[in-house]
Amino acid sequence: MTERADIFQLTDIRRTYKVGSELVHALDGVDLQIQEREFIAVIGTSGSGKSTLMHTLGFMDSPTSGTMIFEGNDVSAISRGQRAQLRASRIGFVFQAFNLLPRLTVLDNVLLPLTYSRRRVLDQQARGMEALERVGMAHRASHTPNQLSGGERQRVAIARALINEPRLILADEPTGNLDTKNRGRIMELFASLLDEGITLALVTHDNEVAEYAKRRIRMQDGLIVEDSAR
Amino acid sequence: MNPLADIYTGGRNGFSEVWANKVRSLLSMSGIILGVAALVAMVGIVQGMLSNMRDSFERGGGILKLEVHSQEAPEAQQHIAGISPGMTWRDITAIQDSTPLAAYLTPIVDMNWERFIANGRREGALLHGITPDFISIQNRSIEYGRFISDTDIAYKSPVIVIGSHIRQRLFRDTENAVGKQLRIRGQVYTIVGQFENMDNSVAGQKRFSWENRYNYIPATTAMSRYKGNDEVNRIEILAGRVEELPDLIEQIENTLTQTHRGIKDFEIRTQEENLKEMQKLEHSFTYSLGGIAGISLLVGGIGIMNVMLASVSERIREIGVRKAIGARSHDIFLQFLAEAVVISVVGGLMGLALSVGLLGLARDIVPNGQAINIVPVSAMIYGFLFSTGIGLASGIYPAIRASRLDPIEALRYE
Repeated sequence: MTERADIFQLTDIRRTYKVGSELVHALDGVDLQIQEREFIAVIGTSGSGKSTLMHTLGFMDSPTSGTMIFEGNDVSAISRGQRAQLRASRIGFVFQAFNLLPRLTVLDNVLLPLTYSRRRVLDQQARGMEALERVGMAHRASHTPNQLSGGERQRVAIARALINEPRLILADEPTGNLDTKNRGRIMELFASLLDEGITLALVTHDNEVAEYAKRRIRMQDGLIVEDSAR
Repeated sequence: MNPLADIYTGGRNGFSEVWANKVRSLLSMSGIILGVAALVAMVGIVQGMLSNMRDSFERGGGILKLEVHSQEAPEAQQHIAGISPGMTWRDITAIQDSTPLAAYLTPIVDMNWERFIANGRREGALLHGITPDFISIQNRSIEYGRFISDTDIAYKSPVIVIGSHIRQRLFRDTENAVGKQLRIRGQVYTIVGQFENMDNSVAGQKRFSWENRYNYIPATTAMSRYKGNDEVNRIEILAGRVEELPDLIEQIENTLTQTHRGIKDFEIRTQEENLKEMQKLEHSFTYSLGGIAGISLLVGGIGIMNVMLASVSERIREIGVRKAIGARSHDIFLQFLAEAVVISVVGGLMGLALSVGLLGLARDIVPNGQAINIVPVSAMIYGFLFSTGIGLASGIYPAIRASRLDPIEALRYE
């Protein structure tokens, strides 16, 4: 069996918010190691800290304290600009509400991250179409999101997450707005991405969805209380 | 990091956003469109008016012209003011004899508004008594016949040179009224000359000119027939060269001091004062119109800011998505700023187009409108730059608000 490299190494990560005069410990000393091509499901009740963990992993938020190593580099206290650069080039996001921009076509939505990654891509259109092919949505490239079903929109959102060839895709309740049939399709699509060397971490309330993951992390009160592999 | 690429991306996003919301964008542009159009049109019209004034000033002798007016004797001479004969025909002959620097000289005997009668028609117009030099001082052209001659002056001839207004009103069927007669206050005059119509001096363009309403008889005729004395209302003198003006003024002053027996009851006015007045008028017009247009553009800018703030509020979630997929704060800042700039630039261009239409219209309906330049380039450049600046300034605050949004909060926004 080949040794898989670490993508993330989180040590004693804490994230504290001030709500009014009260301090909320959203992450209260999280230790976590994520390796490449892992498929992780983060589960837990509302307020357990799973979304904060995802935001931290996605460089949308920075920890109050603790050490965060990403691809061998200490990223615990990087600037907002550096975090944005990492989001653009190394991370893909998939949201529950799809979050496609309604005025842009499917293809333009998929191409949007290229605008911000500052990566020189010679044929952007071809790259976008390729990403749409991977999710089976190339035939709807010129449509707008409003013309698509929920399942189709989420496929487009996945294509958008894939366009910059990220190391890690973070999905926040990606099947929350989908019916059972589409849920299965999306999860199979996610599972197929592992073969392409992508690491997946998704937040879900749904145990059936969590079943697709090889590793399950349960959070409670800002701590990882269960970390099990199948 | 490539700032040009960032600006290009911001501009492209901004433009597509403006294009996607055409009606909203057009409404937010309206203030800028009207502001720029008003600014350029007003400046164009005022420039046209001022150009007319300058033309008229030049035609009237320009800076070389001097005017001698009567005035009250100074306080110290009040008790002996009665010894001065006032401004009379004698002053004219004295200046002619002793002031070689005066290239042209004419008295003006004001008759003011008179009723002209001919062919059973009546028409009011202005009448003055003058001498032959008048036509050289005023730089007027005779279309038919001749101007008042020295013989007319010597013989107090009952002759008149008319403007096109009287010709049109009293001799409708005749292009050339020379040789015809008309009556003023019961006195019969033979028309010996007819001025060129200033209304039609520029082909194809409407032109209204007060000069067409002026008519002239020999000064001596006016004095003997109507005034009963040899008083003149003012004297107009044209110098040969600007450098000679100070000496000319001195010569006139000396001559008139003698003819007025030492009483300083006259005033020599140079056109420099008129020129200064005209320049003052030009400045005050420019500043006041600039101020009004500036305020209207400012209001337009506030309109853009309002729309941009509403746009930021509407698109909080979009901002969150863009940030989540890698947009930096300054990418968002540039996008919203570019949107405001695109609105103001497009609004400015539309305003310029509208101003050309307004100036074209003004050219047709404003008296002397042919002097209005329908493409006042400098006003257009200033108007456009100012509107772009206003757009830029009004976009900064909404762009800062958008760029400072926290991506997590923005994504949660419903």
